[in-house]
Amino acid sequence: MAAVIETIELKKNYGNHEAVRGLNLSVNAGSVCAFLGQNGAGKSSTIKMLLGMIHPTSGGGSIFGHRIDEERESLLIRQKVAFVAEDKRLYDYMSVGQIIHFTRSFFPKWNHALETQLLERFELPPERKIRQLSKGMRTKLALLLGFARGCELLILDEPTEGLDPVAIEDVLQIVVSLAAQGTTVFFSSHQIAEVEQVADHVLMIDHGQLVLNASMYEVQEEYRQIQAVFTDPVEERDLRLPGVERVKIEGHIASFVASRNVDSIVEHVRMLRAGNIDVLPISLKEIFLEKVRARS
Amino acid sequence: MLFYKAWIETRVRFLAGLVAAAVVCIFYLEQHAWLVSMWAADLQNPHGYHMKWMPLGIHEYGWYLWHYLYDNYLQQVWALFAILFAFGGLIRERNGGTVLFSLGLPVSRRRWLFTRLLVALLESIGLSLFAVLVIAVGSAAIHETFSLSQVLLHTALMVAAGVFVIAFGNLCYTLFPGNYLSLILTLTLLGAPYLWLQTYMQHMRYLGRTPWIGYLDFAHTMAGPWQITWTTTPWMALLVAWTLTAFLLMATVAHGDRLDY
Repeated sequence: MAAVIETIELKKNYGNHEAVRGLNLSVNAGSVCAFLGQNGAGKSSTIKMLLGMIHPTSGGGSIFGHRIDEERESLLIRQKVAFVAEDKRLYDYMSVGQIIHFTRSFFPKWNHALETQLLERFELPPERKIRQLSKGMRTKLALLLGFARGCELLILDEPTEGLDPVAIEDVLQIVVSLAAQGTTVFFSSHQIAEVEQVADHVLMIDHGQLVLNASMYEVQEEYRQIQAVFTDPVEERDLRLPGVERVKIEGHIASFVASRNVDSIVEHVRMLRAGNIDVLPISLKEIFLEKVRARS
Repeated sequence: MLFYKAWIETRVRFLAGLVAAAVVCIFYLEQHAWLVSMWAADLQNPHGYHMKWMPLGIHEYGWYLWHYLYDNYLQQVWALFAILFAFGGLIRERNGGTVLFSLGLPVSRRRWLFTRLLVALLESIGLSLFAVLVIAVGSAAIHETFSLSQVLLHTALMVAAGVFVIAFGNLCYTLFPGNYLSLILTLTLLGAPYLWLQTYMQHMRYLGRTPWIGYLDFAHTMAGPWQITWTTTPWMALLVAWTLTAFLLMATVAHGDRLDY
């Protein structure tokens, strides 16, 4: 499958602070790719670099084959990409109808049917000024302005922040429906349950570096929580094996996450004379916490 | 649609500018008869206040319009509002939190910049033409006649040299953070030399000297001579103003292209 988004050794420094440190990522066409990370992990900086809003310190990348670090190509990118920023503030002096009219003028493939449908579904009054909308309503409007652009790629930065559960469900359904129609979706989120619900690929970033790049299938099938009880004390170095993430030892009990080679890891643990070995499925949230803790 | 956006962002300022220009023009048209009679009385009184320009002020209504409006108060009001019309853009949007929405649209940073500058220029032209309308109606009301072509030439000269003000204001907004800070700094950086140079050059001209810095006296360039012809138009000073405007625009573009949002 062709890569829609690609970055190579992408770096961004703000003074002495390295926000993004040599990021290599790839998002395939037609996928729903979640971009996870803590606050300040570098998600928004990466997205802004992809869209030409900030300039990379070094490295580069492309979207639909267009270079992200050249203004002329960035313009071509933004013709094909619908972006909804984390800060969903819009021109508050415009009405809902005016900003839809304004945004529509830049996108020849604007989806009028979806616009009408979302106006009704989100209960957005076209004549109301944006300054009179609640935060949730503004978020819905920002999402409408992104979804209806009819673009090939949708980049959403924290799309459901500030929405109620019903609206979140609506938004996720729309994301799935757009993906089913062939739109590639790249979205950042703190809501891991949402990611598990809609994403088919996960990229996890921590301190500006990619720490996980896997399909949801791989995450569900290959990642396991392993807990072993040993008769004799073991040391962490005994469990340093390919595929073993951070090891936690409490007395005779060792617990760790295995990202691959589960069978050979279990065999190795058995050889260390473990009395009892539990191999359990692990949620994306637990993987996220493991990855973050392992690095901090 | 970018023009529409720039217009609705600045229309209140534009309307305020129209009101200010109307107030200035109407005030000095209304004062004409009183000032003329005062100068005439002064001239008849051997102990009165005598200035070389007084006979001109009494007998030439065109000179009166030029002196009070295009060489002084209308020009100052126009320059102030031209700066305010140019106020805005992506930096201001960053402070307001809407810049990511704007930059997410398929519009280059330069197009954002030049659309706003063009709207500011058009509004400045609109403001100056509105002043001509007020002068025409007001002059008819006080039964005075004037050369419309001269007033239009003064208007054209004011705008032609005044583009520097718009470009300078826009560069300052791009460079300085904070809405109010950038506005105050712009007015200070532009206003202080404007007023100082105007005063200094008036003194120099009184002494019969024309130092090179006179080319930077944009207030004088914007006003021009009271009777504009092809030969009396300050072409060299205009060229200096346009050259500096071009440099300011290039600096704004270069800085704007490098900015991170």
